Amino acid sequence: MSLHLPCPNCGADVVFRSPALPNRVCDYCRSMLVRSDAGVARVGEVAALPFDVSPVQIGMHGRVEDKGFEVIGRVRWAWTDGAWNEWLLLFEDGTNAWLGEAMGQFMLLWERPFAQVRTRTLREIADGNEAIPGAEVQLDNEKLVIADAREVICVAAEGELPFTAGTGWKLYSVDLRGRHGECATLQRDDQEVTFYQGRYVTLPELAPRGLRAIEGWALPSYAA
Amino acid sequence: MQPDFALQAEPAPAARALTCPSCGGGVELRAAGYTVHVACQYCGSILDVTDPQVKLVTAYNQQSAELEIPLGTRGTLRGVEWEAIGYLQRSENGAYGWEEYLLFNPYHGYRWLVKVRGGWSLGEALTVTPDWLSYDQLGVGEEAFDHFFADGEARVDYVLGEFYWRVALGERVATADWVRAGAMLSREANGHEVSWTRNAWLPPKELQKAFGIQPEAGIWPPLPHQPSPWGGWIKTGLKLGAVAFAFLLLFAIFFGGSQWSAAGSFAITADGREQTATLGPITLPRRYQSVHLRAEVPRLENGWVDLDYSLVDRRTQQVYEAYGAAERYSGSDSDGPWSEGSGSAEVSIASVPAGIYDLVVEYKGNRWTGTGSYSADGAGWLDPANVPEVKVEMRQGVLYASNLLIALFLIAIPLLFALVRHIAFETARKSESDFATSAEDDDE
Repeated sequence: MSLHLPCPNCGADVVFRSPALPNRVCDYCRSMLVRSDAGVARVGEVAALPFDVSPVQIGMHGRVEDKGFEVIGRVRWAWTDGAWNEWLLLFEDGTNAWLGEAMGQFMLLWERPFAQVRTRTLREIADGNEAIPGAEVQLDNEKLVIADAREVICVAAEGELPFTAGTGWKLYSVDLRGRHGECATLQRDDQEVTFYQGRYVTLPELAPRGLRAIEGWALPSYAA
Repeated sequence: MQPDFALQAEPAPAARALTCPSCGGGVELRAAGYTVHVACQYCGSILDVTDPQVKLVTAYNQQSAELEIPLGTRGTLRGVEWEAIGYLQRSENGAYGWEEYLLFNPYHGYRWLVKVRGGWSLGEALTVTPDWLSYDQLGVGEEAFDHFFADGEARVDYVLGEFYWRVALGERVATADWVRAGAMLSREANGHEVSWTRNAWLPPKELQKAFGIQPEAGIWPPLPHQPSPWGGWIKTGLKLGAVAFAFLLLFAIFFGGSQWSAAGSFAITADGREQTATLGPITLPRRYQSVHLRAEVPRLENGWVDLDYSLVDRRTQQVYEAYGAAERYSGSDSDGPWSEGSGSAEVSIASVPAGIYDLVVEYKGNRWTGTGSYSADGAGWLDPANVPEVKVEMRQGVLYASNLLIALFLIAIPLLFALVRHIAFETARKSESDFATSAEDDDE
């Protein structure tokens, strides 16, 4: 089912696993590639990922609600005061989700069409208003609180991705939190608004296999 | 078995090394990729490590504090190994200073080790938002927290090590705290974000085990979320005390005394004359014992019986005396029928030495000659045709109700002591709250 194509820049074998994911960073030359009916085109180069000690890595497997997934891509974002990872999960049924990793916490987020979101505050933010941290937002039947709002910038990317994550891409990002671990993220750039909704998870509940080994640290018991 | 995914051949290195542009010292980054700011351990300068080119943010020359937990130290708390990577000194604008260590484990994220006035807590950032339970109470999961501090402002006074956000000296956040026994819920907010942390009180023993920190004695007043050391003690003590007292009571009932034994019955004459009856011999075997005497006059009605008891030692003629009276009245008035008193009377003589005794009972029956309607129409209960009797019973034993009371008192002393300490602890603990309900606040 996966599609193997040579990188137009360096010729290395590049694997596209999902038709839904047209973007791919070449593992060897870090070219950002876009696949279309016409073939694979190089649209730029992605900066090398800075060294980090994340326990997640491409190739990690896990389970969510009895559905297996594999980590196949990552985008690294930064804001003036820090950086975080968004890992792309590809599920057995071909769907995907994001595992946000920030400040040692994990958020599992599914994209949701923003047209479905009826919340006035969120609509106003999508239209260009500033989000006010601490403000309450009614989303469907849940009450969420705006936890965080800031300008963010794409630092680097790797693997397969549903969009072209160019280094230097700027977004306005708003994080929301619910009472029982629900969370949501609204991202806005000049062109469009994307909305993700999900919940906080812990690494153990994802039953991860293939966590990254980090020198000097024992792998946790749940990963054995 | 081979895993079905590609493993990295070598484990990823855990730390990234860099050189402090201010003093040239080697700085190790332990949470690379997360860390934004690192304070050089040699010169205290703050470095920005978000760029591959490490930038100097502030040259800071304060001598690095002698930390209780040197950065890089690892310790296991509640089953997880943590490495201390950052250190902050914070205060309420210079007052009430406290210390915070940032702990890191790549598989478990971050925790805070907070030291306030000698007491330690383990803080974890919440991924849930607390619920208002009432105007001054918040709920997180099953736990309820009472509002304790309001409108605080925490300032960063000193910083060492690495952090996942851009720490700046003088940085301020608005704070508020809620507490329950054993935990504190802290809210920190600035213009960009609101974060909640649950700080669990750490018993000094746990810290000693994890990081070798000697416990500090006498944290007073107690920390807002410090559980009262007397609370659990009192609960256990009450249970033990109840069991002990129940046992004593049962023991006393079954083994403490002997049965009442009927000593004799005597007729009471109707003319109110004093009569004497002697009972004996009575053998008292123990070195000392109490002697309980009970008189019963079943037919006593609107009258009384005086009883003078003399316990006479046959050998020494030593006399132990007691006086008892049974009285009982009844009648009826505008409120309806009434009665008071009873037909029996009990007295005790304490500490009677061993010996053979005679019990001399002097008794006299009296009729009530008031305006009661009952006595007006005849002799009443002292009707000679129907001679009333007084039955005297005796019991000897070591049991006094006072013995049980003393036992109860002995059991209660440590409990009362603990209760007093517990109340003092709780009062002192709450006294610092902005929401204290104590009298001191009302006096202002």
